[in-house]
Amino acid sequence: MGTRKQSFSVRARAAGWLWQRLTGVGLVLFLALHFWVQHMPTGFLATAEEYAVIMSEFAAADQRYVEAIAEGKIRDALPAEHVITYDKVSQRLANPLWKGIDVMLLVFAALHGMNGLYNVMGDYLRSSGARKAAFGGAVLLFLAVTVQGVVSIMSAGVR
Amino acid sequence: MRLLTRNDIPSLKNFIATVVSMTPKPGMVAWLLHRLTGLFLVLYLVLHTLGLRSMGDPVAFEKYVTMYRQPLFKFAEFLLLGVVAYHAFNGIRIILQDMFFRSGTERPLFYLVLLLTVMITVVGGYHIIYPYFIAPLLLWWGL
Repeated sequence: MGTRKQSFSVRARAAGWLWQRLTGVGLVLFLALHFWVQHMPTGFLATAEEYAVIMSEFAAADQRYVEAIAEGKIRDALPAEHVITYDKVSQRLANPLWKGIDVMLLVFAALHGMNGLYNVMGDYLRSSGARKAAFGGAVLLFLAVTVQGVVSIMSAGVR
Repeated sequence: MRLLTRNDIPSLKNFIATVVSMTPKPGMVAWLLHRLTGLFLVLYLVLHTLGLRSMGDPVAFEKYVTMYRQPLFKFAEFLLLGVVAYHAFNGIRIILQDMFFRSGTERPLFYLVLLLTVMITVVGGYHIIYPYFIAPLLLWWGL
């Protein structure tokens, strides 16, 4: 087992190990904040009453919104429900600090996730060709997720 | 020390055979759950990023959010919190174990990880499922 050819130097693999720890600790903090903001009943979400107002305003402005409500693809909030809405997210992301926080969350998640995926695949791939292909795939996935995510975050609030 | 044989070579087949043949022990269960939750979270990260392409269009975004507000998805959101909480607490355990506790302490630390995971999932998850599963029950009981 010790004779397996490694694609990377000891130094590079040690850096990957350390980086996985650093991004992991960062993600615990970013995800705690993300969870508080997007999943808990706080002012970052709309209450049922606020959502009713948002729905009627949107319906008055955009015929596609009316159709989506008629088709059941956009639904009223239940009593006591807090809803993620375009308005609330746009308001939050109008602040450059929040944009920065969300970009950091995205990049950390993509780095940690794709490095982890490569580590797992590396445990089961023996040929150096397969390991290189796995690394290339992880890098491509990282780039795709990061670029698409940054575009989404930066375009938030821009119609 | 015994010599390594072909059966010791890491492969998916040997991995499954080993997992099935072993009596579950906390350290191994912790490792396996960390791996499975990690793989799931990578998949979820990709799906989440694809879904948020709708941020460019208000109507598409509200449709996307409404889809995730179905009762089944709310329950999945509850489970997602559990998956994230486990991966986070177990990750912290791995770091602490590397730095301070060394091996031999994984059993109590793993039980602590499970306890914290359940606590966070119940406390945070309560707010997620409340409007969908708990409020209707309270109403039904006439409270």
